[in-house]
Amino acid sequence: MTAQAPAPGDQPILFVRDVHKHFGGIQAAAGVDLEVGRGEIAGLIGPNGSGKSTLFNLVAGMETPDRGQILFDGHEIGGKKAYKIARLGLARTFQIPALFENMTVSENLLAAAAEGHWHGAQQRSDETLALLHLEPVANNRASDLSGGQQKLLEFGRVIMRQASLILLDEVTAGVHPNIRKIILEAIARLREQGTSFFVIEHDMEMVRNVCDRIIVMDSGRVVTSGAFEDIVQNSEVMQTYLGRPQ
Amino acid sequence: MAQTMKNRWAGLLLLVVILVVLALLPVLVNNYWLRIATGALMWAGLACSWNMLGGYAGYINFGHSAFFGIGAYATAILMGADFAVPFLATIPIGMIVTALFAVVIGAPTLRLRGAYFAIATWAFAEVLMQFATVVDFTGGTGGIGLPPFLNERFFYFAMFAAAVLTYFLTWSLFERSRFGLKVKALRDHEPAAEAMGINTSLVKLQTFVLSAVVASVFGSIFAYWVTFINPKSVFGGDITDQMVVMVLLGGLGSLWGPAIGGVALFFVNRLIWMYYGDTAFYIAILGAAIILVVLFLPNGIAGLFARRSGKSGSVLDTVLGRLLGSRQGGRS
Repeated sequence: MTAQAPAPGDQPILFVRDVHKHFGGIQAAAGVDLEVGRGEIAGLIGPNGSGKSTLFNLVAGMETPDRGQILFDGHEIGGKKAYKIARLGLARTFQIPALFENMTVSENLLAAAAEGHWHGAQQRSDETLALLHLEPVANNRASDLSGGQQKLLEFGRVIMRQASLILLDEVTAGVHPNIRKIILEAIARLREQGTSFFVIEHDMEMVRNVCDRIIVMDSGRVVTSGAFEDIVQNSEVMQTYLGRPQ
Repeated sequence: MAQTMKNRWAGLLLLVVILVVLALLPVLVNNYWLRIATGALMWAGLACSWNMLGGYAGYINFGHSAFFGIGAYATAILMGADFAVPFLATIPIGMIVTALFAVVIGAPTLRLRGAYFAIATWAFAEVLMQFATVVDFTGGTGGIGLPPFLNERFFYFAMFAAAVLTYFLTWSLFERSRFGLKVKALRDHEPAAEAMGINTSLVKLQTFVLSAVVASVFGSIFAYWVTFINPKSVFGGDITDQMVVMVLLGGLGSLWGPAIGGVALFFVNRLIWMYYGDTAFYIAILGAAIILVVLFLPNGIAGLFARRSGKSGSVLDTVLGRLLGSRQGGRS
């Protein structure tokens, strides 16, 4: 890859170059190149096993890249510990909601603000509960919530982080349309405030409605990227992703 | 809301009544029962110190007696003829020594998860016990004596003060502060806690050191109280075992569970000793208590009084799940 890191002042919020990661004999990331612009909502699609979640883990510090460069807001974060990356302003959700199950809904939100964002946390927690329609279950244990409410709560925690880039891993998968609507409205509101998003999603309807740009991954590489309309016109991509006969 | 406030005031009133009764106990009972009450307070405090790491952070420490023993030996050695340090001055010295041990042992072992951490801490306590049996300054297997101070009231109030401080510390740090949120977050999902900016390695180490230092204080008072210690009496695995069962029976990860379990089991222990002159049967009761908790009382006795919004899961599920290497917990 010949691409250089962008000059300061014109930096994307996330810049990934030639990132590799293997697990035993499996090459989960095989030279990933991509960027997410400031204020952008970038969608990441690809078949199962294409390396999307591995890429999220590499960016969020859950995994260490074998080689390559990952810049977040101008900081080199490849191989840094997850908590240090989070403190720089990156927040994420997990494919399976990773809640603090023995804590209440309110405590989950406050715990998300316990490191670095404590001032005014109680008020922001109340606002987040209202925004996500979680007020009636504020004092329930997280493990007592329905699947959709758990997705909402996990999304609420990333709101509490006041992050500049949020990674969402299938945040609307399998949820009721009403909950989906709440999440999409919250994303739109955060985006207005300048938050950038990088979204793994299989729901093409959501991808079309929400994302500014689509990045397609397969076999640990970025295959292509562009506007949704351009991507769906690409028969090779659609063949790879949807297995649609030509 | 009104009901919640009413319950809160009722709880506060009950706490005040218990504290007043405990403060007046030396004038209400004879020395025999005062001695039993002193022991009950010690076990309630020790169980609470174990619960800091085991219940709030979810890391099962099978070597917690090591810190009780370090505190006991620090006081015994320092009060001996060689140093002649006053008792109260030996407590902070024991705390510092314990904290140093806890940092040295905790830094590497807290990287381990589940059963591996439990085994490592158990091995640490065993090593310390063996060490204490072979070196001279501990008195070896023969043990070490302390200057006798036969004042039951003094030791009762010392244990009472230590227990009250321990529970106040636990309430303020684990139930009412940012630190407590971080500790409970890492217990429930460590990667998610890291993703929230929490330095879990540091928080675990801080909790480990805190729980160790508290156990050391009780060890110091215990040594002076009983006037004689040996490696088995302060480093023995049965000390940790009792703390674990007391916490499980009372309620893992709860504030008052260790107090309930500690007092209940210690009184059972003393009653058995009074009637049978031996505590072998007590071991069987500990085993039965574990079975009872795992099968029927995952939230312990304290859980019977807690207002729960639902029925799914418990701290025990989470901690056993971690111990056994499965995310879903030990019960189905």
